[in-house]
Amino acid sequence: MKDDMDNNTLAGQYVLGLLDADERAQVEQRTGHDADLRTQVDYWEQRMLPLTSMVEPEHLPPALWSRIERTLWPVAQAAARPGPSRWARLWDNLAFWRSLAATGFAAAMLLAVLGLPGAPREATPRFMVVLVAPDDKAPGWVVQASTTQSLKLIPLVSQDVPSAKSLQFWTKADKWKGPVSLGLVKPGRPLDVTMAELPPMEDNQLFEITLEPETGSPIGRPTGPVLYIGRAVKVM
Amino acid sequence: MTYPPYDPDFEAALVACARGDQAALQRIYQAEGSRLLGVALRIVRRRDVAEDVLHDAFVRIWEKASTFDATRGSARGWIYSIVRHGALNHVRNHAREVAADDSTFERMESDHASGAADPCRQVLLSSESGLLYDCLARLDAGKRSSILLAYLEGCTHSEIASRLESPLGTVKAWIRRGLQALRECLA
Repeated sequence: MKDDMDNNTLAGQYVLGLLDADERAQVEQRTGHDADLRTQVDYWEQRMLPLTSMVEPEHLPPALWSRIERTLWPVAQAAARPGPSRWARLWDNLAFWRSLAATGFAAAMLLAVLGLPGAPREATPRFMVVLVAPDDKAPGWVVQASTTQSLKLIPLVSQDVPSAKSLQFWTKADKWKGPVSLGLVKPGRPLDVTMAELPPMEDNQLFEITLEPETGSPIGRPTGPVLYIGRAVKVM
Repeated sequence: MTYPPYDPDFEAALVACARGDQAALQRIYQAEGSRLLGVALRIVRRRDVAEDVLHDAFVRIWEKASTFDATRGSARGWIYSIVRHGALNHVRNHAREVAADDSTFERMESDHASGAADPCRQVLLSSESGLLYDCLARLDAGKRSSILLAYLEGCTHSEIASRLESPLGTVKAWIRRGLQALRECLA
């Protein structure tokens, strides 16, 4: 390191880009704990920034943004396009589940807990699921389960389904190998589902609605894009 | 230049990125992506590498958005720093022995012929107002050129010495004294 250099000069040379790879690494490491050096680096970064307005913008190739998306959100993006087996990765995408902390999601959750207009409430629900669109997290359906073996699927929005296609409802608990079909869903219509042959519903169990051929998936597994997805939350 | 030097929306966009709002990252990309690509290209001098740098920078912006600290500077500055240092790290880690690709080279040649890419001319002719431009205009030509070639073109001391046909020691002194003079002028 250039010992004879004061922090301001060192920071200035770092911001100008004049340090070699080792010196750059040292400055970056030091700014983690050396508040004075960090302040000097910030000083030069801010002061020199107006020069960037002299740089002419370059044409952005359309593929570049898609590439960034694929790196950051590989699964959610893939799910937006039809294709077999892409749904599987969405189940495991942590970033997707973390990103659900959106306002719309919270509002739908509140709606689910407080009850929906027009949705008869036979009993206090024990589990709630808000199914949201993978790309924009817009809530589309709510699941209320008043027992661990039956549930009601309630639409929040109306939806157009392409001709010769249908919506299919699936669930998968953590330890299951794959999702199990809960049947076809009519857009905009509630559906009562009995899960007598399935293990009792559990916390965090996954639910999703995919776009499938008119008579449902021919292979007993989702084949089309995930339209809505959510995890069960136990109601206290 | 018509672009606003500071847009308070970038701070909101970073906060939204930290919350997981993917559209917020896209807003930053749409607003600044093309100029950020220009900044990276001036430094790395190859379009494919510049695109890689921009890709990596946006991944980093997304991942580090929660660490942005508005008390340390503007959000726009933070974004530019990530791209610039990504480009600088690339050229410092990979000796820039590979020639610029043809299109870049031709463009820079033609820019050079017209004088448009000469950063010193640009500063002196720029309609940008602002303290930095005033202070740069007051520096002697050698100091001003050295600082601009470093910041905008990512040149090393030796590259600056070669571009300005001046001894390496002189260039190093210009940089130091130029930084000192800028600091005094900017104070």
